[in-house]
Amino acid sequence: MAASERPAHAGKAGAKRRPWVGYAAFLPFLIVVIGYELLPLAQLVVNAFIGKESGSFGLENFIKVFTTPLYQQSIVNSLWISVISAIVGIVVAFLAARFAYESSARVRNAFTMVLNMMSNFSGVPLAFAFMILMGNSGVLTLLGQRFGIPFLADFDLYTGQGLLVLYIYFQIPLATLLLLPAFSGIRKEWREAAVILKASPAVYWFKIVIPNLMPSILGTLSVLFSNALAAYATAYAVVMNNYALLPLQITSKFKGDVQIDNATGGALAVVLILLMVACTLINNYFTKRASKGREIV
Amino acid sequence: MSANAKAKAKAAKPGKKTPLAAKIFLGLVALYLLIPFVTTLVYSLFVEWTDVLPSGFTLRNYAELFTNATFWLSIGRTLILCLVSVVITIVLLLLAMYVVVAVNRRLGRFMQFVCMIPYALQGVILSIGIISLYTGTGTVLSNRMLMLFGAYTILVLPYIYQGIRNALNAIDANMLIQAAEMLGCGRFRAYVQVVLPNIISGILVSSLLAESIVFGDFVLANNIAGTNYQNIQVFLQANMARSSGLSSAIVVIIFLVVGAVTATVLKLQSGTQKSQKE
Repeated sequence: MAASERPAHAGKAGAKRRPWVGYAAFLPFLIVVIGYELLPLAQLVVNAFIGKESGSFGLENFIKVFTTPLYQQSIVNSLWISVISAIVGIVVAFLAARFAYESSARVRNAFTMVLNMMSNFSGVPLAFAFMILMGNSGVLTLLGQRFGIPFLADFDLYTGQGLLVLYIYFQIPLATLLLLPAFSGIRKEWREAAVILKASPAVYWFKIVIPNLMPSILGTLSVLFSNALAAYATAYAVVMNNYALLPLQITSKFKGDVQIDNATGGALAVVLILLMVACTLINNYFTKRASKGREIV
Repeated sequence: MSANAKAKAKAAKPGKKTPLAAKIFLGLVALYLLIPFVTTLVYSLFVEWTDVLPSGFTLRNYAELFTNATFWLSIGRTLILCLVSVVITIVLLLLAMYVVVAVNRRLGRFMQFVCMIPYALQGVILSIGIISLYTGTGTVLSNRMLMLFGAYTILVLPYIYQGIRNALNAIDANMLIQAAEMLGCGRFRAYVQVVLPNIISGILVSSLLAESIVFGDFVLANNIAGTNYQNIQVFLQANMARSSGLSSAIVVIIFLVVGAVTATVLKLQSGTQKSQKE
C-alpha cells in the first residue's frame, strides 16, 4: 500500500502540468486492441443475435444451430474428438511424466528435448506427414497391405477416426510438458512412509500420488480439451471443409465457396467461444488450487 | 556452491539408474513422436517410396524448391509478417506498460485481461471476427494486409505481454524509476534509458517464441489473406495435392526453422534460470 502511494504522489507534480500526457502512451495499444480484438468479438456476438430470416434481435440463429443436423453433428463431433484426444493424451502423458521423473537426468533431458521439438510439429506439416504415413498410398498403409495387417491397410485418414489419431498425436507432447513439473511436488518420503505402512503400490498410486496431482491433471485436461476444440489447420489440411467439425463449419460460413452467412456463423462462433471460456475458467480454478496446495506443503 | 553440488549429486544417485520399464516406455513415446517427421525427411530425400523401402536417393526436391520463386516469395512474406507484427506488438506493449508502471497501476488488471483473451480464443475466432467486421466496408480498413497485420499483432499479444511483465517484475521497475526521478530524471526518460535496457533480454525470449508462432500460423493467413498473400504454411497447403516430393521438402524446412528458434529459446531460458540461481 505504502509502496503504491508514493509513485502516485510523485506523479502529481508531473500530472499537474499536463494531466493527459501520462496516458497518451496507452492510446496506441488501446486503439489496436479495440480495433482488432474487442470490436471483432463484439461483431460476432451481434451477428449471432440478429436473426438471419427475421432480421430482428433474438435467439433465432441459435435455435437454427441446435436443430440443424449438420450443426448438431459438428458440435457433437467437436466435443467427442476433443474429449477422447484429451483423455488419451493425459493418460499417455501421465505415464510418460511418471517414468521421466524416475529416470536419470540425462534420459529426462533428452526426452524433454524430443517433447519440445515435436510439440511444434502440428498444423499443416503434421497433416502432410500423416498423409505420407497413413494416407491412401501411405508408407504404413503399403506395409499393412504387404504384410496383411488390416488395421493399417484399411485405415482411412480422411474420416473422424483419422482426425482422432492426428489430434492424439499433437496432444501427447503438450500434455507431457504441462504435467512434468507437477511430479516434482511428489516427495520421496511419501513412498517410504507408504512402504513402511505396508501400502500396496496400487494404494500408493491411487490414494496418494493421483489425488495429490489431481489439480494439475484436471488443469492440463482442460487445456488439452480447448486445444483440440479450437484446432483448425490440421483438420482443414486433411478433410478441407468436408467434415462436420465446429471450427471448419464456422470458417466456411465466413469464407465459403457458398454464400457468406454471418448470422449462422456468428451463432456457431458464440457456441465455440462459450466452450473455450468455460475451459479457461476451469483451468484458472485448478491452476490456483494447484499452486495453493504447493504452498501448504 | 561446491557443497551444494555435492549434495545434489548424492540426491541424484538413487535415481541415476533409469529403470528398464521407464526406458522402454519413454523410448516408445519418443519413437511415436519422431516417426511422422522422420518419414517425411526420408520421403523428401528419395525418388519414390512405393515399396517397403524407399529407392533412389536424390536432392532433387530441395533443388526444385530452392529454385522456386514462389517459395522464396512466401518465405519472404512470412518473415515480413513475423518481424513487423512482433515489433509492432512490442512497441505497443512497452508504451502501454509505461503508463501502468509510472502513471496508473490500476490499468494493469485491464491490460492483463485484454492480453490473455487471444490465448483463450485462438485463431479461428479471431480471424473470422476481423473478416466479418471489416470486409466490404470499402474503407482502408478492409485492406487484407492491414487486417492480417492487426490479427497477428493480437495473436502474439499474450506471449509478449507475459515476457515483458515478468521482466518488469524481476527488476522492480517502479523503484528504478523513483531512483532516477530523485536524481532529476523525467519519468519517461527514466523508463526509456534505465528500465528498457534492463528488460531487453527478457523480451528477447518471448519475442522469439512469438516469431515461431507467427511462422507456424496457418489459420489467420488462410482465412484473412488466403492466396492474396501466401505465407509459407498456405504455400505448403496449396502444394500438398500437387507434388508430395516438393511438399515433404517444405515440411522439413519449416520444421528445421521452427526447431532452431525453439532450441535458441530453450537455451536462453536455461541460461537465465542458471544465472538467477547463482
